[in-house]
Amino acid sequence: MISTLLKRELKVARRNWIGLAIPLLFFIIVVSLFPFAVSPEAPMLQKLAPGVIWVAALLSMLLSLEQFYRSDFQDGSLEQLLLMSSPTSVAISKIFAHWLLTGLPLVILSPLLGLLMQINYGFEHINHTWVLMLSLMLGTPTLCLLGAVGMSLTLAANRNGLLVSILIIPLYVPVLIFGASTVTASLESLRYNGELAILGAFLMIAIVFAPFASGRALKISVG
Amino acid sequence: MPSLSSMSQSQDIQFDGLYAHELTVSRSENVLLEDAELHLAPATITYLYGENGTGKTSLMRCLTGLLQPDDGKIYWNKKPINHPESGYFQDLIFLAHSLSMKNELTIAENLTFYAQLRCGGSYNNKELQADISQVLTDLGIGGLEGRMFAELSAGQQHKVALARLMLEPAKIWILDEPFVNLDQKTRGWLAAKTLEFKAQGGVVLFTSHHHIDELPVDQKVGVEHE
Amino acid sequence: MAKAWRWFHQLGSPKYLFQKTGQWLPWIWGATLILLAVGLYYSLWASPLEARQGQGHTVRIMYIHVPAAALSMVGYIAMAIAAIVGLVWKMKMAFAVVRSIAPAGAAMTFLALFTGSVWGKPTWGTWWEWDARMTSELLLLFLYLGFIALHASFSDRSKADKASAILAIVGVINIPIIYFSVKWWNTLHQGYSVTQKGALAPEFQVPLFTMLAGMYLLFAALVIMRLRAEIILRNQKSRWVMEWATADAKKVTHD
Repeated sequence: MISTLLKRELKVARRNWIGLAIPLLFFIIVVSLFPFAVSPEAPMLQKLAPGVIWVAALLSMLLSLEQFYRSDFQDGSLEQLLLMSSPTSVAISKIFAHWLLTGLPLVILSPLLGLLMQINYGFEHINHTWVLMLSLMLGTPTLCLLGAVGMSLTLAANRNGLLVSILIIPLYVPVLIFGASTVTASLESLRYNGELAILGAFLMIAIVFAPFASGRALKISVG
Repeated sequence: MPSLSSMSQSQDIQFDGLYAHELTVSRSENVLLEDAELHLAPATITYLYGENGTGKTSLMRCLTGLLQPDDGKIYWNKKPINHPESGYFQDLIFLAHSLSMKNELTIAENLTFYAQLRCGGSYNNKELQADISQVLTDLGIGGLEGRMFAELSAGQQHKVALARLMLEPAKIWILDEPFVNLDQKTRGWLAAKTLEFKAQGGVVLFTSHHHIDELPVDQKVGVEHE
Repeated sequence: MAKAWRWFHQLGSPKYLFQKTGQWLPWIWGATLILLAVGLYYSLWASPLEARQGQGHTVRIMYIHVPAAALSMVGYIAMAIAAIVGLVWKMKMAFAVVRSIAPAGAAMTFLALFTGSVWGKPTWGTWWEWDARMTSELLLLFLYLGFIALHASFSDRSKADKASAILAIVGVINIPIIYFSVKWWNTLHQGYSVTQKGALAPEFQVPLFTMLAGMYLLFAALVIMRLRAEIILRNQKSRWVMEWATADAKKVTHD
């Protein structure tokens, strides 16, 4: 059942690729603004890099939330899905598909942004790009899971574009803190396993609660 | 979720088919139905009529389990519809006002998705594609399987939604305004198929603004304002 | 136990709840005013000044700040508990309670932030410091405002109630995570802490606990007033509300 849902998601997304490309483009453009605004000096950019890249990733994930349940809600297919399968499995497959289409591309694009932000400046033997990718790899699924909850809560609301951001940004803060500090620790040549482990723990907690909460919220929005 | 009312379920429900007991439904503080009883027996067709805004759609959505009633229980073959053993959601096709099709998918892809979601892997894909072609031909839109849903006219889109009735095995159809904006021929087709479904023991509930001449009904239920 | 259940069910009846709270309210207000008067007298005049750090009179802010901060947390937890009651037992009045706590909780959070900021100016020399507790309070304020915004965004009240109840529960799971994260982040950046460690001297305890009790009661009174307004709003079409609105309010309360 989940694989049927997943295949459909990916097919729809492939034909609607521009909607997914825009948040990614936004991710790159936002990061490339910082050298203009702050300074193009490599040490300065390097110091800002973890925070800037993580905030940009977070905003890009927020932008792509509109693609989440909205069109299924509007054309009525969401209620058909809820009739034919359990709310939690609808949420799980949508979240997984959404991460594959928005989170994973961010992870893959992040080395480019590391490059723009001079993340490896002054280091001969250590490559921080991997740490950046790893932190995003563990952090973006949590952002997706929380975003799914926010999105399913606001589906039936009257104004929802910015509303969902207000609801979930406070919930994003812990992921942001540990995501960015993983990279910072690496840049300061400190151990960063602890931060990664906590990002992993957040992911586990979110996996346990978020699909269920999102499923309940979908039932309420459709009802 | 713990259910306080699980004890009261032991009372015997004598009715086969769909049975709503003491149903109370409200929308934004307006009570639409109070303590309503409704029985849709196997092999019957029920026509639900009423003015706009009287809660026809709310009642329907309640019977599909999408809308929580404020009070009351709904049984499918003597089991509460949410009971796993009732198999209600396997047996139910609900066609709502919205067509529930994706613009980004072709007609065949849309119909295949729903058939697979209902039947899992048990539906042979080749057979399914042949069935889809057949139904679309019957509906007068044969050969359009590969077209994107968005490219069709409103009338054609409506027909695609109706095609689901022929492709997914079910025991109860709940149809919201299925005859609206249909041409004469398709009305005849839908009426004939509905009678066929009834003959096989199916339960049908539909709404309509006008009386449908082609379709003799067994039961008329009116929803009215006080 | 059976008695407790019956009481719980009676509370689910809007009319019963409205009448009961109407009986309680004058007593709660009375106790609130007495406790706050005594507490404020002690904390603003009769308590000693803190000698260390040269804080002088600024220490008196603590007597407002600490209760407000405590209530901001307690309020959110109470919201989540009421939300669970509403969702699990389908008790409509519980949603009215959730909605009634939100504005009072948000106000307490704002008060905690405001007094913290005023306290911070003489202590740290700045109106805002990214202190762990202050930052957590700020995020808590966002959670409250998000809840209020979500509830206000639906035209269907029952959807608004259920959706925002889920948000309250998701929020309460996140509060400890947010607090822990912010604290960890703060130690990383060598932050300050408003509250010094160590037991509070007894001469500070009396005014603080009096103020705590007074503020709790004030909070309860505000929530109950809001709740009564919610009950009337949600049952406009009931006969007893019509009667209450036309007849003398007192008569209904003493029925």
